[in-house]
Amino acid sequence: MIESLLFWLCCAMVLVGALGAALVRNVFHAALLLGLCLLGVAGLYLFLEQPWLACVQVIVYIGGVLVLILFATLFSADAMGTEQRRRVTTLVIGSGAGALALVLAWRMATVGMQNGVGLQPTRSEPGMVPDAMAGSTNTVGDLLVGDWFVPFLAAGLLLTVALVGAVITVQRFRVRAEAERA
Amino acid sequence: MLEFSPDRLDAYLAISTVLFAAGVLAATTRRNAIGLLIGLELLLNAAALQFAAYGRFRASATDPQGQTAAVFVIVVAAAEAALALAMLFAVYKTTRDVDLEKTRELRS
Repeated sequence: MIESLLFWLCCAMVLVGALGAALVRNVFHAALLLGLCLLGVAGLYLFLEQPWLACVQVIVYIGGVLVLILFATLFSADAMGTEQRRRVTTLVIGSGAGALALVLAWRMATVGMQNGVGLQPTRSEPGMVPDAMAGSTNTVGDLLVGDWFVPFLAAGLLLTVALVGAVITVQRFRVRAEAERA
Repeated sequence: MLEFSPDRLDAYLAISTVLFAAGVLAATTRRNAIGLLIGLELLLNAAALQFAAYGRFRASATDPQGQTAAVFVIVVAAAEAALALAMLFAVYKTTRDVDLEKTRELRS
């Protein structure tokens, strides 16, 4: 009972957060609603018995990405605070694209669910608490330095390149601003 | 047909589908560049949720590869956010605005 209530709460958080983040005009509010949505997704990871992933979601997304977005919003509140009213044509085309994405993604999900090899779309009651280790940090760590070693290195490289690129992008402007001031 | 319960795969897939659609909506209609970034984060989150859900509902045992793939999605999202915000900063420095309909170039 409590479990399904919490599940509904997480679902509501995700839906309200996602739709709000897409539609609200104030960008600061949109970022806060994104935080609500991310928290709901972390809750869903807990229901999927993947607590480690939920922790990563909270730490990286809410602690990192969201704070970065909020910081950027605050950093230039004049231009980024409230969005200009969107054009009607943009809204119509965007809603069409959103509806199309909804239909296509749901179709893909159902096809994947029906034809996926080795899938069991419903969790049967008590016996289906599989291998307790499967959700744990140990197994993920083993995978990361085992089968997934090359993607793991690539992810590290990607992060390094992204950070260095970000610093260089910002630095160039600071150098120019200082040159103009001198 | 769709029954909402934490024990069913289709519930997670439905949530992730709506998340994806909301992401597309935000990414296509937002005029503010930060709003666009928020839409992209929603899209990537939908993908990660699907990976995790498919990994959980295996017939034999939970497959940790779904979870691992979801972590890679999160890594890509983090890198994308860092780079995109740096570019936003650059655009803002040049034009004092992040409205995507007015911003046409990065070079001042």
